[in-house]
Amino acid sequence: MRPAVIVALFALVWLAVSGSFTIPNLLLGLAAGALSLWLIRGHIQLDGRRVRPLKVLSLVLLFIKELALSAWKVAVLVASPKMALKPGIFAFPLTVDRDFEITLLANLITLTPGTLSVDVSEDRKVLYVHAIDCSDPAAARRDIANGFEKKIMEAFR
Amino acid sequence: MGAETILSAASTLALGLMCVAFFLTAWRVIRGPTLPDRIVALDMLVAIAIGFIAVIAIRTGFNLYIDIAIALGLVGFLATVAFARFVLSHGMSEDGEDPALVPDRPQRGKGRRKGRAR
Amino acid sequence: MLDLVLALIVAVMLVAGGIFVFLAALGIVRLPDVYTRMHAASKAGTVGSGLMLFAAGIHSLDIAIFMRAFAGFVFFVLTAPVGAHLLARAAHKAGYRLARVSTVDEMRDSERRDAKKR
Repeated sequence: MRPAVIVALFALVWLAVSGSFTIPNLLLGLAAGALSLWLIRGHIQLDGRRVRPLKVLSLVLLFIKELALSAWKVAVLVASPKMALKPGIFAFPLTVDRDFEITLLANLITLTPGTLSVDVSEDRKVLYVHAIDCSDPAAARRDIANGFEKKIMEAFR
Repeated sequence: MGAETILSAASTLALGLMCVAFFLTAWRVIRGPTLPDRIVALDMLVAIAIGFIAVIAIRTGFNLYIDIAIALGLVGFLATVAFARFVLSHGMSEDGEDPALVPDRPQRGKGRRKGRAR
Repeated sequence: MLDLVLALIVAVMLVAGGIFVFLAALGIVRLPDVYTRMHAASKAGTVGSGLMLFAAGIHSLDIAIFMRAFAGFVFFVLTAPVGAHLLARAAHKAGYRLARVSTVDEMRDSERRDAKKR
């Protein structure tokens, strides 16, 4: 995304949160957005790559659905009198390679039912994932590769 | 049954549930056994406190509480990050019991954790 | 009539949030090691208190306050996995092992392989 688009988004969020839709407030929001973008300039990669809004929206919807589902699954697991636990950490080979995409994938994995991302290897090729039910790591790997990773590739490539 | 009654009953129920949750989590903070366990529990205490503040905001109708809840969430996240860095730099504390080294009883109901008492 | 529907929605969200928070606390007490406890805290706990904050936003009937509550909710949902990931990583690097019931730990395996190579 271009810096101007990001600043506009920040200003929009500012307007929504502060709750007064006036011109001075919009200018203040733009200034605050530009300032915060300037503060983190060294930590993000700004490139002109295209983002597909519809696919991003579908990713957000998937995110919400998985969040609700995972909270439900954990709640049911904890509430059941006899917890059938087979936890473990498995390695997931990454196809996405940009920092931003890895972050997004790690966050999504954490919110999937029963999985929590622990670490990325130093060469950024492997993501270590802790799973509450790790009896079949191969199936878990397949699920992530065909689900979230594919969606992220569709939205940001 | 009016709207007020429903809201009052629901918020009382939520407060009760969270009270129990608060004590359970506090037990984990005290009990440990390791530092990360306590940090996770403290993080959870912040989440419960946010819930408390939200319910109080509904009960009293004083909406400024929501801003306080957001501020608490920010502080709680920063605290967790700071604690994580501390664990990373400090390494394993010597008093922490390592769950993998302590023999676990076979998975059978309640008595499972008793083998780990000091 | 609208009052009643609104009160019902808020009440349901409050009670659901309370139940989620309670179950998360129960999970923190019952689960065997710090990594599995993190699952409970970062998912059920966040969703629970987030629901309550959301309910408070709806109850206020003010778009500005609702947006603020919504922003807080989004913030919690985004930071909870980050915090959990940081803490899990720090704990694993510091040497806290998984509980006995765990099946595999491919992260420790790869660390051992690296150590052998050097």
